[in-house]
Amino acid sequence: MKRLCLSRRALLRGAAGLGVGLPWLEAMHQRAQAQTAPPKRYIVMFGGHSLGADNDMVRNLFAPDVIGRGYDLKAALAPIADYPGLQDEISVISGLTIPWAALNGGTTPPGGRPGPTFHADTASPLLSGVRSASGSALCNGPTSDQIVADQIAGNTTFRTLTLRAQALLYVVVGPDLGIMSHKSGGAGAAPIPVPPEVSPAAVFNALFGNFTSGLTPAQAARQNFLLRSRQSILDLVRGDTERLMPRLGAADQVRLSRHLDEIRDLERRVSAMPPVQAGACQRPADPGPDPALGMEQANPNNTLCGRIIRSSDVNLGYSGEDTRARVMCDLIHMAIACDLTRVATLMLTMFRSSMNMYPLIGVARDLHDVSHETDTATLSRAVAWHIKHFAYLAAKLGSTPEGNGTLLDNCAMLYLCEGGQGRNETGSDYSTHSSENMACLLAGRAGGLKPGQHIVATGQHPAAVITSAMNAVGVAVPGLGEVTGTIPQLFM
Amino acid sequence: MCMSEVAMRHGLLGVILLVACEGRILTPGPAPFVSDLGAGGLRRLTRFEYDNSLETLLGDTSRPGFATLPEDAVTPFDNDYATQQVSTALVEAAEQLAQDAAAAAMADPVRRAALLPCQPSGPGDADCLRKFITTFGRRALRRPLASDEVDRYLTLQSFAIEDQRFETGVEWVIRVILQHPEFLYHVEVGTPEGADPAVRRLTDFELASRVSFLLLGTTPDDELLDEAEVGHLSDVTARRAHAEQLLSDPRAADQLDRFHALWLGYAQLPHPADLTAAMRAESRALVTRVVLDEKRDYRDLFRFTQTRVGDLLAEQYGLPLPGMEAWVDYGSDGRAGILSHGSVLSAFGKFGDTSPTQRGKFVRTRLFCQPIPPPPPTVNVDNPPPATTSRCKIDRYAAHRAQATCNSCHEKMDPIGFGLERYDGAGGYRTVEPDAPECTISGDGEIVGIGTFNGPGELGGLVIASGLLEPCLVRQVYRFAYGRQDAPRDEGDIQRLATGFTANGARLDQLLLEVVASEPFSLTRQESP
Repeated sequence: MKRLCLSRRALLRGAAGLGVGLPWLEAMHQRAQAQTAPPKRYIVMFGGHSLGADNDMVRNLFAPDVIGRGYDLKAALAPIADYPGLQDEISVISGLTIPWAALNGGTTPPGGRPGPTFHADTASPLLSGVRSASGSALCNGPTSDQIVADQIAGNTTFRTLTLRAQALLYVVVGPDLGIMSHKSGGAGAAPIPVPPEVSPAAVFNALFGNFTSGLTPAQAARQNFLLRSRQSILDLVRGDTERLMPRLGAADQVRLSRHLDEIRDLERRVSAMPPVQAGACQRPADPGPDPALGMEQANPNNTLCGRIIRSSDVNLGYSGEDTRARVMCDLIHMAIACDLTRVATLMLTMFRSSMNMYPLIGVARDLHDVSHETDTATLSRAVAWHIKHFAYLAAKLGSTPEGNGTLLDNCAMLYLCEGGQGRNETGSDYSTHSSENMACLLAGRAGGLKPGQHIVATGQHPAAVITSAMNAVGVAVPGLGEVTGTIPQLFM
Repeated sequence: MCMSEVAMRHGLLGVILLVACEGRILTPGPAPFVSDLGAGGLRRLTRFEYDNSLETLLGDTSRPGFATLPEDAVTPFDNDYATQQVSTALVEAAEQLAQDAAAAAMADPVRRAALLPCQPSGPGDADCLRKFITTFGRRALRRPLASDEVDRYLTLQSFAIEDQRFETGVEWVIRVILQHPEFLYHVEVGTPEGADPAVRRLTDFELASRVSFLLLGTTPDDELLDEAEVGHLSDVTARRAHAEQLLSDPRAADQLDRFHALWLGYAQLPHPADLTAAMRAESRALVTRVVLDEKRDYRDLFRFTQTRVGDLLAEQYGLPLPGMEAWVDYGSDGRAGILSHGSVLSAFGKFGDTSPTQRGKFVRTRLFCQPIPPPPPTVNVDNPPPATTSRCKIDRYAAHRAQATCNSCHEKMDPIGFGLERYDGAGGYRTVEPDAPECTISGDGEIVGIGTFNGPGELGGLVIASGLLEPCLVRQVYRFAYGRQDAPRDEGDIQRLATGFTANGARLDQLLLEVVASEPFSLTRQESP
């Protein structure tokens, strides 16, 4: 197995949040004897952006020019270069297309979208491989993370981690734009949306609140008292919920039973033994309170009302998402290192994201309007903000030893985004509202993945990449939703 | 494709006929037993209601739910049960909030003293803890606790004894109760009523909750629960009288402010905090004055010639600076009523500018309750009309509307919006386009089929004259009151309320009381699964 060579710079940066007790040389070179085969992990990150701006002949600065190994890193993927060697752990798959109705004689094709009401309509085909109806970001099939969790979660405490960095919608453009995970609803029933957790502090408490290492005996006794209290309280809450159930009508019983399932699941997690803290598994530093919510929406135009409006006000449409994303990556990393979970999704930004990009790239637009109102070079800086977090987590996993390799060696880690750039129905050949010329990333070496390549998969559906990633972690499905097929080069 | 006005009327008529076919059309006046009401489902407290309830129950003013509970979908109200989803995030947030709120309440000597109904003799004082469970439980669950429930919670006293601290038991009890589904959800079980097993009559306690959450946005206080306990809420006259009392509570103004901000779209504004606060204060002042303080004809909200502003907004509007917040007369720049407020004018922008289409859609859907069908699947609604030979906005939109497929819908919206074009996306006045000074803005607008106007003052007058505002307001209040979309089965009640509203001076306070006193308000219809 190839091991990731971390630069000194990356190491210094990573060391602060890593919390790994081992010196880096050990991480790089230690050949620990693997007692058992390490579990496989599956991670999906999502960014609510296209790759090219409206009416810019530069389709993207994401897909490299070089095909195969040793590909070049353009602006959108530049953060990968912050970690020398990391590029060899990541494949770029470009040329992907989610088909749409106009290309199919007006009928929405399998795994496709109906038309140019673009944003929400890409959610279902992209994440579940099932065609969308217009206007809803809810998926019409279970998403890959949930399918994978059914097979590989084992008895981990957290069957999945479902997280989002973008804290709020900011602009009310439609509900459901912030959900990327859906469970199967059973035969014939609609899938069940799995809304994400958005509070890093809450996720930290859920994951590591019951770790006991480093406590004095008095502190440990107090923690034990609080844990027993919490268990008794939850036991009463569950009992209250069960007592209420039979008094409700049938439809409300279905609703309350979901609530009850969540309480039972919380009880199970609270009572789970904390993992043995050794090696790479350590209680990470408490991230502290969440960054404040920027409660108001971003005003994208500083000429609109120049007298008073400060459209670049960082408190508009921004809630410290840069910090939130980094902490979420730290938490995913440690949850995997401690085998608390094997499946995680992180939605960095929502579909049709109204998050203010000013604090991140100095452009007073929300992410959605960056696509429409700037150029591909500017948009690529916004894309690069997302890729920075993907690279950070990949590098962190790649510098954490496991068995004879690293955690990343046992991962399939996807980066997906909302669109590409190309044709739309109203005649443009260079529309940001296009599911042509899409691209994604796949990192890790689980199941024999051979990362480090740029693969041009012209006209293939992104679900083929997702299916390859699912196969890599041992989920032997021929496809996802209505889309069949894989990208075999990913394993060659 | 757009429905024509005629088709829309037919649609409405169809609904009424449908209701009529079921033999359930209602006539104005005191109605006998009515089983015609739409079905509802288990509805969770919104973040607003949650935070208000913590304040009512524990004196906790930190509003922690807003940042912690899942964001409410706004459609446009935030309380539609059909949009609510259960999630891990919800259950974890409820646990954390309960833990933090309970700890904070016990750590504050003043609030702790207010909560404890007795002086405990020691950590194991079971009588005192029982007393607390009984009083707090009734308040938080909005009904008396059964004795076996009290006994279950009393088991937590063992932790107080182990901890040598009576308050630990209190704290743990608060944590359980704040996670109880009857606290987190509006549970309405009722009792069987009539032949239809899906229809249930609400208990007095359930009615107390409905009244309190509708009028004050928070959990009922002890006094209202006492009234429920003696059966006063199921009596229509008494219920109405209690509701009238609640309307004089300061929190009624908060709730009306919330209703209007959601309905008229200004719950979130794209401005810095100081300007946002000034705009919200302006609209709140007018709503409060018209509805509560002076109990005026509600239509005055759309034609009031004064507004309450401070220097920040006065400067924004080009009015003389009042020096401090005060009621001032509008100048002669065409303003009158709430449609002239920076809040409303800020709300429906797009592409970094005012959007005539969005503003027109606002009038049609929010003020007239006319559905605008979604654009056909071949139209990309996410781009502004493209540039033509003219840079002027009105020309670009005109070119856009020259396409017949676009015009059938856009003629219903854009001409309304262009009548507001002289008012920018923060309520400022302008006569030329900011990015194209050669383009003069005429400010002429039209509600196609109804009339022409120029500016928000005249628009307000036209909205009133159309006769469409009052029935639509009633429908919006109905949706908000029941926390769901209206269904064909609700049509009879909505029509009856609308008739009464117009006939009785168009007072919103009276409408709210009519809703509370109506027969359907005391009933619920369970959804079929």
